[in-house]
Amino acid sequence: MYTRPLARLIEHFQHLPGVGPKTAQRLALHILKRPKEEVAALAQALLDAKQQVGHCSVCGHLSADPVCEICSSPKRDDRLLCVVEDSRDLIALEKTREYKGKYHVLGGLISPIDGIGPEQLNIQALVRRVSQQSIQEVIMAISPSVEGETTTLYVAHLLKPFTKVTRIAFGLPMGGDLEYADEVTLARALEGRRELE
Amino acid sequence: MYLRSLNLRHFRNYTEQSVEFTAAKTILLGQNAQGKSNLLEAVELLSALKSHRTSRDRDLIQTDALAAHISGQLHRETSGDLELSLTLRANGRRSVALNGVAMRRQVDFLGTLNMVQFSSLDLDLVRGGPECRRHWVDGLLVQLEPIYAHVLQQYNQVLRQRNALLKTLKRENDRAGNLFDRASTSSSTSDSSSNSASDLEASSLSLWDAQLAVAGSRVIRRRARVIQRLIPLAEAWHRSISASTEALTLSYLPNVELLEDSPEVLQQTFLDKIRSRSTAEFHQGTTLVGPHRDDIEFTINQTPARQYGSQGQQRTLVLALKLAELQLIEDVIGEPPLLLLDDVLAELDLTRQNQLLETIQDRFQTIITTTHLGAFDAQWLDASQILYVKAGQLVPEEF
Repeated sequence: MYTRPLARLIEHFQHLPGVGPKTAQRLALHILKRPKEEVAALAQALLDAKQQVGHCSVCGHLSADPVCEICSSPKRDDRLLCVVEDSRDLIALEKTREYKGKYHVLGGLISPIDGIGPEQLNIQALVRRVSQQSIQEVIMAISPSVEGETTTLYVAHLLKPFTKVTRIAFGLPMGGDLEYADEVTLARALEGRRELE
Repeated sequence: MYLRSLNLRHFRNYTEQSVEFTAAKTILLGQNAQGKSNLLEAVELLSALKSHRTSRDRDLIQTDALAAHISGQLHRETSGDLELSLTLRANGRRSVALNGVAMRRQVDFLGTLNMVQFSSLDLDLVRGGPECRRHWVDGLLVQLEPIYAHVLQQYNQVLRQRNALLKTLKRENDRAGNLFDRASTSSSTSDSSSNSASDLEASSLSLWDAQLAVAGSRVIRRRARVIQRLIPLAEAWHRSISASTEALTLSYLPNVELLEDSPEVLQQTFLDKIRSRSTAEFHQGTTLVGPHRDDIEFTINQTPARQYGSQGQQRTLVLALKLAELQLIEDVIGEPPLLLLDDVLAELDLTRQNQLLETIQDRFQTIITTTHLGAFDAQWLDASQILYVKAGQLVPEEF
């Protein structure tokens, strides 16, 4: 049905997350229609990204430089550290423009089923960072899944001797209706209640 | 509640089938392996999103089809007409919709259609292992408190993770050959000796212990609560069916004792028990403490029903449990659930049959499968809608 090189392209697209056979075909046909320079630029961008992007030596966030922009920024508050699972969560938090401190990316969650123990994660560097710098607060911003909860407790346990450790609140979505929230979410929201100012 | 109709597409041996339920009682008549039980299974799936016959969606989809679709029109006294639909796909992905609106979480779909199922397999409640009784209570709980599905799933996830960690620790210990030394390792983070990696792992075990205790306590307390409500109903039904000659007692045997109904006390008891069993857990490399080891005990005149009961007594017991389930769901939900009787009426003797039929009357919509009508009361037959099932098709009554 497809000529050889086209079939290969479709197959590679299909390996991408969220792409099924139909989308893969659509993407491949689109590529064939574009000018050669544009396709070359895309191929180059793929290679460049792969070759140049590594992890920040301080926080573990994706970065082309040895130290990422956030870590080297003088505008960022050194005394505040937010711990996240991966760069995706970091980017989500950055989009809020609410947070002015720095980050630490763990690179995953503790999950014995997948053979991921604490030693596979970027935790030792975190402990070193917190024990050696004057950090006033570490904010744990990790999803409340079974694995996320264990990782949060684990990291908090290690950091408590050095600084104050907090966690983000979990609860009702904005614009959400109280009566439609499930009881687990409600219980969490109740746990994280705050006094009105 | 009343299920008005059911539509199946590529489900089991049904290619395309619609059924209208026109009477409170529907009898599905047919030879074996024609698809009678598949129809009940479809109703079960709409209710529980689970089948007691298989855990693989692939089995539910017609051979060579990519997806199976089940939908039903339900009338509830409390919330009016509802349309439920469920799509099962060969790749394992499911989607559910209520009134045409896709539900992001399956929990939001559970508890819409309530039913009690009674099949010959239910004798396993008495004869089978503890897991049969746990599944039964869990299924009932999901109907009464749909969020329990989430509670149970969380517990099972913690359990799987903890078991994986125990297995890893055991493997390492076996290699190192010093079991007790490592088992007593506590968290020491400043220590950076050669085996700091397994120190880290051992200390993360205590976190899984805490998670297990929290999630497990939720399971135990909910199970205890539902069984507490079930006990008087089941015991009363049993007295009535056995004409007061036998006394049933039903008791919850949680693996971690529920000393008082407080989450904190229970979690502490849980953790204490984990500690006392830790050597055994390290030896076996698996979790030995928790509600995955719960049981429910039935005794008749102070003797365990499992060993002592005759076939007839075991049937009486199961019938009493089912009637209690029916009554409890009605009490909690505020309207009668559906009753699905899979090939079971013929197995009951006349007294017990009548007991069941009297209870049902016209209040509970009942769907019955059978291979022959001989065992049915004539009056009962007159009031029923009879459908013939043949090779994955329904045909109206004909001779």
